[in-house]
Amino acid sequence: MNKKTRSYVEFLYILPFLILVALVAYYPLYGWIYAFHDYMPPKPISSETFVGLKWFAYIVENPVRLADIGRVLVNTFAMSGISLAFSWFPMIFAVFLNEIHCRPYRKFVQTVTTLPNFISWVLVYSVAFNVLSSTGAVNSVLVNLGLIDKPIAFLSSKDHIWFKMWLWLTWKNAGWAAIMYLAAISAIDEQMIEAAKVDGATRMQIIWRITIPCLLPTYFVIVMLNLANFLSNGMEQYFVFQNNFNRKTIEVLDLYVYNIATTGRGNYPLSTAISMLKSIVSVALLFITNTVSRLVRGEGFV
Amino acid sequence: MKRLLSVLLTLAMLLSLVSVSAMAEEKELLTIDVYDDAANFNGMQTGWFAKVIKDRFNIELNIIASQVVGNTVYATRSEAGNLGDLIVVDKAKFPEIVEAGLAKDISDKLPECENIMKFKTQIDVFNKGLTGEDGKYYGIPTEMTDTSPVSLTDDVIYSTPKVRWDLYKAVGSPKLENLDDFLAMLQKIHEIHPTNEDGDPAYPFTLWADWDGNDNMIGIANVVQLTTWYGEKLKGSAMLKPDNTFSKLYERENAYYKITKMLNKANQMGLVDPDSGTQPWDTVASKLSSGRADVMWYSWQDGFWNSVDRLNAGTGFIFIPIADQYYYADADRYFGSDRMFGIGSGVEGEKYDRLMAFLDWYASPEGVTFQHDGIEGLNYTVNEEGKFVPYKDNALMDNLPVPDEFGGGGYSDGNNQINQWIVSALCVNPITGERYAQKYWQSYKDMTMTEMKKEWQEMYEAEDPVDWMKKNGKLLASPSVDFTPAADNNDFIALRSEVNKCLCDYTWQLIMTCATDEEFEAMWDEMVEQLNGFGYEQLYEHDIEVWQPEIDAKIAAAAAAE
Repeated sequence: MNKKTRSYVEFLYILPFLILVALVAYYPLYGWIYAFHDYMPPKPISSETFVGLKWFAYIVENPVRLADIGRVLVNTFAMSGISLAFSWFPMIFAVFLNEIHCRPYRKFVQTVTTLPNFISWVLVYSVAFNVLSSTGAVNSVLVNLGLIDKPIAFLSSKDHIWFKMWLWLTWKNAGWAAIMYLAAISAIDEQMIEAAKVDGATRMQIIWRITIPCLLPTYFVIVMLNLANFLSNGMEQYFVFQNNFNRKTIEVLDLYVYNIATTGRGNYPLSTAISMLKSIVSVALLFITNTVSRLVRGEGFV
Repeated sequence: MKRLLSVLLTLAMLLSLVSVSAMAEEKELLTIDVYDDAANFNGMQTGWFAKVIKDRFNIELNIIASQVVGNTVYATRSEAGNLGDLIVVDKAKFPEIVEAGLAKDISDKLPECENIMKFKTQIDVFNKGLTGEDGKYYGIPTEMTDTSPVSLTDDVIYSTPKVRWDLYKAVGSPKLENLDDFLAMLQKIHEIHPTNEDGDPAYPFTLWADWDGNDNMIGIANVVQLTTWYGEKLKGSAMLKPDNTFSKLYERENAYYKITKMLNKANQMGLVDPDSGTQPWDTVASKLSSGRADVMWYSWQDGFWNSVDRLNAGTGFIFIPIADQYYYADADRYFGSDRMFGIGSGVEGEKYDRLMAFLDWYASPEGVTFQHDGIEGLNYTVNEEGKFVPYKDNALMDNLPVPDEFGGGGYSDGNNQINQWIVSALCVNPITGERYAQKYWQSYKDMTMTEMKKEWQEMYEAEDPVDWMKKNGKLLASPSVDFTPAADNNDFIALRSEVNKCLCDYTWQLIMTCATDEEFEAMWDEMVEQLNGFGYEQLYEHDIEVWQPEIDAKIAAAAAAE
């Protein structure tokens, strides 16, 4: 087999994956066409329904609406920002978990913290509702003890909603996110740690000087991945927790797009147009991070 | 003579059952996809109603419920070119479905359906309005009555303040002049009735949020409903006043403000369930049937509490008039309610024949009896005169088990999940000569001529709530007309959705979070500013244009009746 035929054959090896990517990642982009049409079911789109950039103009032409989208972006950036700012939390959690020497206890903690990751948000909310509603466990206990005389509206208040959402997210994800770091910790060269011990390093010094520096590359990759998802911070969580009292501060971009398309009759072109803007902002964010990474670390990701 | 007649009728029914079921066996099992905007259940119809249909037609119903699986199912199914075999949709959608070729022209088969064609007048008016041609049929209106466009048969209207009679008496049966009196009375009731029998907290008002913005009306569904207590009726975003003029929803002299303010005051007094605004209707329904709410306002909400036993014990909910109110009511829905039946364009051949036969049965006395009255021997019995007598009237409320011979399962679970009827329960059942709805049966009236009702009649010097309203000039009955509002285009869909979201969020906060009147007023002003910012006025002008023809038709119908 000459070199040329071999390269064709080898190309066939990756072809299934290329097809998969084309189908899953590129074909759906065809749906963007709806942003340029005045599409309203049950009428299919046709040349008559083409309206050009009308829906993009619609987004910007009314200052109140623009402010509304601004509010949604602030929510998105704030909540993504909080989780980004605390993204070191699973790493530190993994480091400390690794320091527990009693094996059964360590396994127990790891299992208990990982389990919530497999519970859907809908179930998480039903747990939250049973615990925190006005007749829920917490309020019942507080009222019965006479500490408060009126139930506290935990779920139907907009106070500290960003932080509360971060708490729920961390409760659900921290154990799962720590797995990657635990794997990275087990890959650290034992000799380095042995040597440090011989030199008289304390436990904290080993963590600070060896474990964490060794974890940083993993950490940066994960931060990078999270940044790419900065605007797509998922909507399930916010969808289940949203109500008429906290919507102003909980509505993130994905949820906003979903609400526009699905409440009442639903406006599909407008919601497609807004979700397209999201992709553009996401790509911009990706390039910015890449550039920053190149400047700071000397190498980019892309 | 009557006994003989009833025996003969029963025999005839039995015979027809036998022949129908003999026929059914020959045919293959047919699954009908029902696209249904009215259903609250998604999936295969099960239980007793499934058995009724299977025995007669060997048909099973696969219900596709947009209210359960989400409105997007409408888009995806119509994009695929097949909504369903049987289509039950909001009236406003019907013209576009016909235009998109999703509904079948049923002009050939419909005239043969003699049960459905009893409503020929109404069907003709609707289809003529749709196509402009005589004798061309696409849709069948729902819940049509056999009375007239201006008559009001009900003895209660759709929405009035209702309070438990025993609690009302316990606080001294006060005469209520206005909403302030109403709240003062409710406060006393709350003091003597802070919990239900099980010790769970009870509140005068328990509200829910998941109906907000329904039926293209903006705002909180609960508040919008109560505006009819002051003779106002929301049309989209415009408030129709008793004098048939339109006014902006947020004006302070309108009932939306009045009711929101009342609920806020109630909340300040601790009379509103703190879960209001976050709980769905299902939760409220279970609270109503367990006695955790002291006020009801829909006529059908009685069904969650007022059993014959409770009426006898005097603990039923009943209308308590408030002197400054003026009640809006729709006259009998002669031309039908806001939904339509249609047949999917893909239905052909034998399936088409069998579906139309099923639909005609669905409008037949036997079919309608099953839909409105349930099963003989389980929900009612037949007395010597051939009239129906209520039996186990808590079957729906308590989801009573159904014997296996009738299909088994729970009664409520096996109830007709299409949840929409061609024939209204107000129509007269030719089998009994009485209306289908249980509350008009002589037997039911005799059973419920309770102490409670007598006391009520004595106190208000009237037969029933509607009688009281008529005597006191407190009733605004709006005639039934055939009218299909023009569907929103995308611009107005987006605008309506934004305005609605803004209005609902503010209204809930106004009710549940404002601690003082100053706070309330300030937030109201802020809300009005926001609404106008989104373009409320544009929506308001649009809605007036859409609804004015209906108002004109109503005025004409009222004039014609006089």
